[in-house]
Amino acid sequence: MTTVPTVAPVADAPPTAGRRRIRWGQVAVGIALPLLLVVIWQVSASIIEPREWILPSPVTIARTGWEVRDRLWYHAQWTILITVLGFALAAVVGSAVAALIARSRIAGRLLYPWIIVSQTIPLVALAPLLVLWMPELGAMIVLAALMSVFPVIVAGVDGLRGTDPELMRAVRALGASRGWTWWHVRAPGALPRLFTGLRLAAVFSVTGAVVGELVASSRGLGALTRLSAGQFETPVTFAAVVVLALIGIAMFALVTLAEWLSLPYLRRGTRPGINRPTAEVSP
Amino acid sequence: MPQRAASDITIRVDDVRLSLGDDPPLEVLGGVDLLAVAGEVTAIIGPSGCGKSTLLDVIAGLLSPDSGSVHVDGRTALMPQRDALMPWRTLRDNVAAGALLTGVPKGEARARADRELTRVGLTGFGDHYPHALSGGMRQRGALARTLLADREVWLLDEPFGALDALTRGEMHRVLLAVRAQVAPTIVLVTHDIAEAVALADVVLVASPGPMHVIDRVRVRDLGADATAVRVLESLRAAGVAA
Repeated sequence: MTTVPTVAPVADAPPTAGRRRIRWGQVAVGIALPLLLVVIWQVSASIIEPREWILPSPVTIARTGWEVRDRLWYHAQWTILITVLGFALAAVVGSAVAALIARSRIAGRLLYPWIIVSQTIPLVALAPLLVLWMPELGAMIVLAALMSVFPVIVAGVDGLRGTDPELMRAVRALGASRGWTWWHVRAPGALPRLFTGLRLAAVFSVTGAVVGELVASSRGLGALTRLSAGQFETPVTFAAVVVLALIGIAMFALVTLAEWLSLPYLRRGTRPGINRPTAEVSP
Repeated sequence: MPQRAASDITIRVDDVRLSLGDDPPLEVLGGVDLLAVAGEVTAIIGPSGCGKSTLLDVIAGLLSPDSGSVHVDGRTALMPQRDALMPWRTLRDNVAAGALLTGVPKGEARARADRELTRVGLTGFGDHYPHALSGGMRQRGALARTLLADREVWLLDEPFGALDALTRGEMHRVLLAVRAQVAPTIVLVTHDIAEAVALADVVLVASPGPMHVIDRVRVRDLGADATAVRVLESLRAAGVAA
């Protein structure tokens, strides 16, 4: 019997060796820069002493935010609900439309131009109409979804169309059906790009929710910014904006976490050059 | 060409012509004839872009010829230049795909995948993702997938072209050893005369596109060195080699 040359792992890396290290330097820079701006803002406000209803200091905003925390939370719940449901709707509809466009050339030619045109319509103009046509919550969710669906579709189509042609060739030559190829090759291969679109959509869904609330709602952080600014409660307006930013960051982080959990091959020890097992060739 | 019994021949390609594209159509295969004998390695050597990969696609049934006939006695597996493993699957699951596609249950496919990984010298690497492996190891994985698919005809499209010289030599040894065990009929596309002579029983020299076969050499008849010289001369005559 012929002996096949063998490759044996010399020493597999210890389980923690490939774990992606937290780059504390980058984390520090990420925190330090905004902190520095806040400090400059606070110092400038102490020196210039602008009127509080024109430009409150960070300390004033923080103090006011704490004082009106119940009011902020009341409005934040509404915004979070709209954001999450709007994002979910965009993710589901966007993925389905992307699949349709990638699968059918005719669907692509019919749908893509309209999808691009839809992005040129200012959502602010649509908000009052949507409130006329459906309940307020539904209108807000649709607005958030409309704002965030575009990157999902574009990224999904690119991902589905960008399948490695050599991989397709190899599995088709093995007799893979179109269905098998779709579910086992094209769809999983599209996920990294789809998640890029979903990360953008997560942030845009907050913007969409706020646009709707600003224009056509009496509840939510968008509405609170409008109402508080109208009553010269500028520190409250700023506090609402800070909470909105935190919601945006949380949405982005949640999608990134979902990506990390869904695509294990893109994380620790699986990238080229990281935790690569060494091998010895022996005759 | 010596007459052979029909039962010896696994692949018969007769005067196959194929044009691709619409505006204007480009003739890629210009009347290709090919016979591949059961259990032998037939190497096709020719210039880049002459249509060798397209011919493999025709043999694999991925493309239909405009005219001519293709007869393949058995099922095919195709191994492209790049390993074409699924990056989101572990090496074991990539190899197991070769069996899953033939209806083998998942558990059994994975067990078989481990056996094939051992055969190509990748014991213990089943849980790694392709990105974590070297080019040679990924190609071994692709070879294991081809083995597990249990196909009678292997179409190898420059499978070692992207590897460094040392790894390529190692892969030649693996392929020859595996071939000795399972004896598939292999059509190997390559740019490398030395590789063709080292691995093949028969070397076909392809013309620049539209492709047709301009020479056919049986390595055993001439010997390795003389075959290499003959192939080089044929390529020169076709205006390919300097």
